[in-house]
Amino acid sequence: MGQESCSQEDCFDLLNQFEHVLESDPLIDEVGFIHPSLFTILDKEAGSSSEEASTSFWNQDHKLGISTDILIQLCKVAKHAFLTALKEYKRHENASSEFLTENISSGVSCPTLESKVMKHSQALLLLSSDFGTAWNARKLILSKQNQPYGFTEELRLSRLVLSNFSKSEPTWSHRRWIIKMISQSFSTPQEIITKESELVESIGERSKMNYRAWYHRCWLVSYMTIEQVLQELNKCKRWAGLHVADSSCFHYRRRLMLRVLEPLKVKGSNDNDKTEAHKIWMEELDWNKELVIRYLGREALWLHRRFLSLTWLMYFCGNQSSETGECIVMNEEIGIFVDNEIYLLQSSMTFPDNKFEDFQAQALHASVYMLWLTKNIPELWRMLEEKLGTEKLKCVLNTVDQERPSLLLHQIDIFAAKHNNDC
Amino acid sequence: MSSSSSSFQMGQLVADKHVRYILMAEKKKESFESVVMDHLRMNGAYWGLTTLDLLDKLGSVSVDEVVSWLMTCQHESGGFAGNTGHDPHVLYTLSAVQILALFDKLDILDVGKVSSYVAGLQNEDGSFSGDIWGEVDTRFSYIAICCLSILKCLDKINVEKAVDYIVSCKNLDGGFGCTPGAESHAGQIFCCVGALAITGSLHHVDKDLLGWWLCERQVKSGGLNGRPEKLPDVCYSWWVLSSLIMIDRVHWIDKAKLVKFILDCQDLENGGISDRPDDAVDIFHTYFGVAGLSLLEYPGVKAIDPAYALPVDVINRILLTK
Ligand SMILES: [Zn+2]
Repeated sequence: MGQESCSQEDCFDLLNQFEHVLESDPLIDEVGFIHPSLFTILDKEAGSSSEEASTSFWNQDHKLGISTDILIQLCKVAKHAFLTALKEYKRHENASSEFLTENISSGVSCPTLESKVMKHSQALLLLSSDFGTAWNARKLILSKQNQPYGFTEELRLSRLVLSNFSKSEPTWSHRRWIIKMISQSFSTPQEIITKESELVESIGERSKMNYRAWYHRCWLVSYMTIEQVLQELNKCKRWAGLHVADSSCFHYRRRLMLRVLEPLKVKGSNDNDKTEAHKIWMEELDWNKELVIRYLGREALWLHRRFLSLTWLMYFCGNQSSETGECIVMNEEIGIFVDNEIYLLQSSMTFPDNKFEDFQAQALHASVYMLWLTKNIPELWRMLEEKLGTEKLKCVLNTVDQERPSLLLHQIDIFAAKHNNDC
Repeated sequence: MSSSSSSFQMGQLVADKHVRYILMAEKKKESFESVVMDHLRMNGAYWGLTTLDLLDKLGSVSVDEVVSWLMTCQHESGGFAGNTGHDPHVLYTLSAVQILALFDKLDILDVGKVSSYVAGLQNEDGSFSGDIWGEVDTRFSYIAICCLSILKCLDKINVEKAVDYIVSCKNLDGGFGCTPGAESHAGQIFCCVGALAITGSLHHVDKDLLGWWLCERQVKSGGLNGRPEKLPDVCYSWWVLSSLIMIDRVHWIDKAKLVKFILDCQDLENGGISDRPDDAVDIFHTYFGVAGLSLLEYPGVKAIDPAYALPVDVINRILLTK
């Protein structure tokens, strides 16, 4: 087996090979760990059979495969090489700051040490992406150089790392650091924001519900102009419609929508903004309803509806805001809204055969959705009683009771208390 | 024990095997996983040692060996690294402090130095960075507050602002994310609720609404997931459960089913607990599984404090002495 440890010399040779591959093809855009048996298969597919094919690295069309047989040795030697280079670099830095006035030059020039740290940290991070100290060393050197080119190159490296470790938190965090540096020293690049957003979408395609990736996209929102926010809402709609279980993507839409809402929360906001936002909410509610009906029993869709309905009632149904603690005033508009929701609820609860899991899930989500809305807006309860009738309401409550008895008991307690107070 | 007890049917905690698994894990260093985990050895040590203490087996490790290695990870700045030769970060600083608390060795720390490091990471808006490079996250708020509370130095930070920042990360679903507007996540919720609990600020939480979100994390198998539409995972037994306890809503989930789920994730032969039944075990999930069982008052496991993530007797020893 190739897993046995190799001699120190062989190991360094391996690292040299790896770093040479990286250096000789700066356009590599994907890295992966592959079993050595795949090497020949991949060669055949690519139609190449080079004589001196490496058994450790496979590189074709800028896709780099690293043999799983050498991972441990390679990672160990990269770590060792990086930590040694870093120590040397820091010692040199300290010495030059101490003896600055005396103008003593040490043996090695700083650029050489810098490039050593950069070279080994790159190799290490492609193998072990969460190695924070290696990212930090790069931050230190890059911030000293403070060159636009250096930062753009760094975006490329971290993108390459993400191609193999899409959930690596330090890698995403490093990207945010680069973007902050670029926008501090140079202009805030709207183009970068757009590209970042596309990157998350393409990673989201391969790695489902990736919290770190979607968090990164949410983070970008604060850098966006309102025009960009609206564009993003449009652009990610198609993706969301194709990934209805990806709750993180719907959260991203919520983040964007709340951004649209921000100016409306300020007193004396202009009517145009409100009309625009009103339109966005209506469209999202309609679209969500379509999806809810088409894809039965999807938790992410029903949770999105909770948000949409609650904010709709809070900000658009003739109510300014309930965030300040004031009650929502029941009016005709709310009546119409609730009628529509009751219609959706009832159609979600009638299904041909209760043995189908999807139908059961749909009924549960619809019932809990209604109960959740009344938890947030207790005034809705009476409306629900009136419009739905006692029998049907009982049916809704039974559905909740079967799956989440605690929620129901709790909610009933609250209503009972409220009822007693009212009397 | 009565033979009619249902606990026999649902399996038992193989505590001895977990102890052996943890003691062995430290010696196995030849897998790729262990090589890439090297930089967070401090966290690993905390997970392993706390599990041992919860199972009343902390005596089987050499205190001096652990403590002398731990102190090699401390920097000039006062912060701790994940391993010797690495950079400091609050993530590892809290683990180091927690390990010393377990061993009743906090007195070897230069408390002023450690607390200055942590307090120095508070930002103008009350948030905390994880290290000098400035990434902000409510996880770091929790870590700072927990760490300073153990060291009895909370007065070194602006607690009010810290609390305000955490509250600003609350979402309409009642949960919390890493920064304002970020998606609710059970791990982040634990951090935010924990920090609010330690600072006596739980009145900022809508307990019913958050309890609702948290109890919806329980899926059919009895396990808990960390976000909607995700698979259940043993580690969320800790994050969801501790949060539910802190907001007094733990009776909203089916505890017996959760116990069964955790026990089903054990490797009955070699010890250790995995994220889901039949997956490979690791030290992280072993800790969260045992800690979860502790919160569920499983017999033979010491009680753990839901906010500090340390055994209750350890926390009492610290907080009750001047
Ligand atoms: Zn897990």
